[in-house]
Amino acid sequence: MSVIFLLIAASTIVAVVFLAAFTWAVRSGQYEDDRSPAVRMLGDDRPAVPTNPSNNTK
Amino acid sequence: MPQQVGEVVRCYHCGDACGGDHLKAEDHDFCCQGCHAVYGLLQESGLCDYYALSERPGAKVEQDGHAMRAELFDLPEVRDRLVEYSEDGITRVTFHIPQMHCSSCIWLLEHLQRIDAAVLRSRVRFTSKELTVTFREERMSLRALVELLRRLGYGPSLDGRGKASTGDRGPGVPRILYLRLGIAAFAFGNIMLFSFPEYLGADASDDQLKRGFQFLSLVFALPVVFFSSTDYFRSAWAGLRTRQVNIDQPIALGIIALFARSVWDVATGIGPGYFDSLAGLLFFLLVGRWYQAYTYGALSFDRGLNDFLPLVVLRRTGDAEEPVAVGDLRPGDRIVVRDQELVPVDAVLVAGEGHIDNSFITGEPLPVRRAAGEVVKAGGRQRGAAIELQVLRAFADSHLKRLWEEHAAGTDRPGMPRLIDAVARRFTVAVVLLAVGAGLYWWGRDTAQVWPVVTAVLIVACPCALALSMPFTYGHTIRLLGRRGLFLRDAEVVERIASVDTTVFDKTGTLTERGAHAVRFVGPAPDPVTLARVRSLAHNSLHPLSAVLFHHLRGHAGHATEVAEEVGAGVRGEVDGHRVRIGSASFTGGEERPRSNGSAHVHVSVDGAHLGHFEISKRARTGMATVVGATACLTDTYLLTGDLSVDKDVADVFAPHQVRTGCSPVDKAVFVRGLQAKGRRVLMVGDGLNDAGALRQSDVGITVSETSAALTPASDAILDVRAFGDLPAALRLARSARRIVRASLLLSLGYNITGVAFAVSGQLTPLIAAILMPLSSVTVVGFVSLAVWLRARRLGLSTRN
Repeated sequence: MSVIFLLIAASTIVAVVFLAAFTWAVRSGQYEDDRSPAVRMLGDDRPAVPTNPSNNTK
Repeated sequence: MPQQVGEVVRCYHCGDACGGDHLKAEDHDFCCQGCHAVYGLLQESGLCDYYALSERPGAKVEQDGHAMRAELFDLPEVRDRLVEYSEDGITRVTFHIPQMHCSSCIWLLEHLQRIDAAVLRSRVRFTSKELTVTFREERMSLRALVELLRRLGYGPSLDGRGKASTGDRGPGVPRILYLRLGIAAFAFGNIMLFSFPEYLGADASDDQLKRGFQFLSLVFALPVVFFSSTDYFRSAWAGLRTRQVNIDQPIALGIIALFARSVWDVATGIGPGYFDSLAGLLFFLLVGRWYQAYTYGALSFDRGLNDFLPLVVLRRTGDAEEPVAVGDLRPGDRIVVRDQELVPVDAVLVAGEGHIDNSFITGEPLPVRRAAGEVVKAGGRQRGAAIELQVLRAFADSHLKRLWEEHAAGTDRPGMPRLIDAVARRFTVAVVLLAVGAGLYWWGRDTAQVWPVVTAVLIVACPCALALSMPFTYGHTIRLLGRRGLFLRDAEVVERIASVDTTVFDKTGTLTERGAHAVRFVGPAPDPVTLARVRSLAHNSLHPLSAVLFHHLRGHAGHATEVAEEVGAGVRGEVDGHRVRIGSASFTGGEERPRSNGSAHVHVSVDGAHLGHFEISKRARTGMATVVGATACLTDTYLLTGDLSVDKDVADVFAPHQVRTGCSPVDKAVFVRGLQAKGRRVLMVGDGLNDAGALRQSDVGITVSETSAALTPASDAILDVRAFGDLPAALRLARSARRIVRASLLLSLGYNITGVAFAVSGQLTPLIAAILMPLSSVTVVGFVSLAVWLRARRLGLSTRN
């Protein structure tokens, strides 16, 4: 039965690691803006190529 | 493809309705040169995805004195406020950009480097509407960056915010609250797991294990008590010091009782304590706090006068013009105000012709003409050629500043007793009496039972559900109304709206539309060709009424030639070989007709024959009669107006005794005060700064705002015009919310009484507490959420507007 102490110790450490991760996320401001990160991935990041045809003609 | 919505052609960029001869380019329609220019800029840089993310996302590029305002960003004081760091030619600045409103805005603002390579990185913080840009300053000045943003329609505002967000600032949920909530959630989950062996009946052989779990729970509960609960202790203590009872006192008492009792139980080995209930209590309470901050913090209501006025104005000394801060203007200074710029101080017109639009002050959109020698009040916007003025009073003494200060001074409104305070007072007294009573009872019988019973009473009487019912009910109400377009400042406003029994409407700009005019031709109707010719001539005139006619009339005719405008009379010219005149009666050879107040007449003559006149008046808002009618079913209604008489369509929905005409801003406030003296609770619906006094005096002030970026004085609530029709339903919802809170208070009191029954009889085991506490919180929150939503759905408020 003593193995359960080991398991509890291990699980508690894991839990504390997650708590630390959460703390970091809050401190780095990730909870303050819940809109722009979601939008950021929508636009593609192709390089700035002018699509204006007049620029491409010789 | 043209953006055809019914009859109206919408601008591809900003979505505004396009006028008759709008710009067309590459199959898209644009309402103005500004919008078209932004489109061109984006297309050149390959940024047309902007239009793919949201439909017609653009902000209309307003030309209000931008040329001058950009100079401001060269001033060192302004620069210092914005720049976060600047090293080796690389600078980082943070702007506040109020126009930001959708996904496309975020996308475009984060791709600035494609428009100008001097920008290295730009990041948006949407909730606080901030943009942080890192750029090479040797290749682009701060001013050039600001001008670029302006060209895109995202001009930064200088509203006293500066630098970047570090820590808790501005609206929104403070970081520390997330940490407190996270810690409480963490402890709640873990302690619950540790408690399972106890509840599931571990036998004596597991004693060692149980003791271990008890101590672990104790350790996990420490941060909950000493970190997560500090706000409650602080608030309870602040209340004690000022001898005021508040809802946080029984909560703090409950937390202390839970912790002390649990530590005692574990230390003496009596039992496992109530640590899971303690962590759960804090978790639910903090969720309530978070929701409150989340729903209330979305909007910033407090705007300073500096947001509305130019900070810098051109001063003329001799032949030279130099920018000078508005606060430094002295009486006697000469200033130059260009087209679309605000006059920042009270001044006398010296040169040029003033067409002053006072809509910011009065809500009246039709510009008034001012000739040299006449006084122009601060806050008027010039429409037309540049004018020169002589400063009459310093900014600090100006009419506008006084209006504003009268308005801003009244932050402390005559307090209405909040429902929660009234409940808390009785509740706290009852809990303390009950605990003392139970203690005394057991003192006489079994002294060993005194400590357990007293702590149990304090534990179980902790008003967790009580404290949750209000943030959730009012929070949902605020959120639902916000989605419709009515933004409330905080929960207290919901309560105050619910108690309103009199509604006072302002007329101009509130019940009538700001920009729209009703145009009617009086006389035999001219044929379309004539109208087209009038339109063509009107196009050549700078007069605001000509602009109204130009936008209202349809059809194309030849260009007007030999155009001559006579100041104060009208304009004449030749169109398609016909001599057309529009203007005053005498100018066109007609006779003056009596006009109702607030309307203007434009006479027309062709080839010397007087045809009749256009009557241009303000148009009532769509659905205005319905809104006033429905409001009248709920409260008494009154109409206040600065005009001397009221248009028929507005007057028809009020009884004669409910209408007050010729009201000055002060009269409006006095009228509201008079109603309050009769014991009325007054809701004031207004728009301009001239209502500011009345908005402040009233119990609830609602400002009607035409666009999201509109200049509105601060008030309790802001009503977007698209939600104007929802006003009566919003009143009903607020009243329902108050009833729902009362019902939920009864429900949670029921739980408290059940718990106390267990407690006084000494049967409150940790298991019962662990069930009762979350059960009460969850049912109360569930009940109010469902009730508010169902009510909103019946009122037609549950969907986005």
